[in-house]
Amino acid sequence: MLALEDIRYSKNSNDIVKGVSMKFERGGVFGIIGNNGVGKSTIGYIIMGLSEYKPTSGRIILSGEDITNLDVTNRAKKGISLLWQEPARFEGLSIKDYLTLNKKIDIKSVEEALDMVNLEPKLYLNRLVDKKLSGGERKKVELASCMLLKPKYIVLDEPDSGIDIMSLDMIVKIIHYFQDNNTGVILITHRKEIAKECEYSYLLCNGKIFLEGKSDKIIKYYEKTCDSCGHINYAEEK
Amino acid sequence: MDVVKGYEKEFNQLVETYEKNTHDKSLLNPSIANIIVSGNKVVGLNNTPGFRISSKTRGDGFVIIDVNIEDNTKMLMPVHLCTGFLEKKGEQLLKFNYNIGENVKVKFKSHCILTNVEKLHHYMTSDMYIGKNSHVEYEDEHFHDEKGGVFVETLTYAKLDENSYFKTKFYETKTRVGRINVLLDLDLGNYAKADLESKIYGQKDDIIDIKEIMRLNGKHSSGIAKSTVFATDATKAHVINEAYGNAAYAKGHIECNEIVKGHDMSVSTVPVLKVQNEKAELTHEASVGRIKQDQIEILMSKGLAEDEATALIVNGLLS
Repeated sequence: MLALEDIRYSKNSNDIVKGVSMKFERGGVFGIIGNNGVGKSTIGYIIMGLSEYKPTSGRIILSGEDITNLDVTNRAKKGISLLWQEPARFEGLSIKDYLTLNKKIDIKSVEEALDMVNLEPKLYLNRLVDKKLSGGERKKVELASCMLLKPKYIVLDEPDSGIDIMSLDMIVKIIHYFQDNNTGVILITHRKEIAKECEYSYLLCNGKIFLEGKSDKIIKYYEKTCDSCGHINYAEEK
Repeated sequence: MDVVKGYEKEFNQLVETYEKNTHDKSLLNPSIANIIVSGNKVVGLNNTPGFRISSKTRGDGFVIIDVNIEDNTKMLMPVHLCTGFLEKKGEQLLKFNYNIGENVKVKFKSHCILTNVEKLHHYMTSDMYIGKNSHVEYEDEHFHDEKGGVFVETLTYAKLDENSYFKTKFYETKTRVGRINVLLDLDLGNYAKADLESKIYGQKDDIIDIKEIMRLNGKHSSGIAKSTVFATDATKAHVINEAYGNAAYAKGHIECNEIVKGHDMSVSTVPVLKVQNEKAELTHEASVGRIKQDQIEILMSKGLAEDEATALIVNGLLS
């Protein structure tokens, strides 16, 4: 199990995450839902251990081990991965080399992964992971990369952003691919077409968990209240 | 291949050093035009149909090398320009005059092998004329001594006639720089195009000066000048990119990226854009700073250590 215990995070004296506790199991699909600016991506970065996102207090526990002070590399080695909302670009690095950074990955698996994200391997293997890729192509390459890592837990931060609407089915397929491979999926989204794939969800409002439970219930509440509210301070005032 | 009598040993030594550094075994191929200069002496050269290279040593010590390419010549294999210095100390003075005819297609591969010297001043100036509708590529790769005693000055002045294309790549990324001063000054005619790229990796107390100038004097002329410097340790790097939009529909873009690592380096960049025709358009991008954290961390999220991620990013930038 991966657990966040009373995580708090502040930046420039602003409290961004205000005492969040969450639990994720391998093979499950968990949603972190909420409007823009409520702290969803910040929680994703805290789970991955990015240097600018060290929690002010609280603990992160992976299979009974406190990993709060581990850096990104060591969390990756323990099986945590993150799909960046806007993945970085690299000059001079081919897609083939990028997808085989882990030397154990064979070319056949790389081709299969590219196929799964609707990128024709012959056309893409030798292209560079640089500015010439469109936002959607770059995101798909990143999805393929995350799949090839076979993580125990994957944070998917807005997996559909920058990807054409025709590819939503592909995203759903990838979510289930992770689930079938016993990966715990932590899905950050505000799109109900994607959120409906979650079994259990946390609804965030102003850095706090406002509601949690079965996803259908959370989505209904989110659609009815938050969608139209657009109000990131609701929980605070309540 | 004509090897100058009495210089066979130097010739072979240079060919061997070239092959070791570049892993290219094609230098002695008789179908490849080339010139091999050791110190201030041309020790070997090879001409091919339509391509004529000749040399003489001037009284002031300069080696004058004339390169003439006839109209309509299409060079299927790259022309090799190999310069080396086998003494421990000294000065190498080279002047290239290129006269490239109309409708020519040619690629030059220039290699400066200065790997085993204590103190050397390598000065190379090139005047190039590129005829109408010609396509010219020029790759210049340098290999310098690791102790930093090499001072290279390479100055290129090129005039691009109508609808010609000139692409240059200057690389000094595999060995120490020492001190380097690169100047590229282009005069572009109507519909001429230029694509300039330079990549340099500075270490220890290297000193790097790059100046790239594009004079977009012809209508519809266009050019891109891109410089990348990775400055570590106590490297000092200064890059100036200039573009002048002097004709209608001229378009130019200049870009300078300086990536730094360490506390003692000093880098700077100055873009200069000057438009003298209301229909000309110039743009620039510049960045100076360390490697972006999101680039490092995305690679770390694949299991790479921070140092491995940094090396991968730098190698990609300088490749």
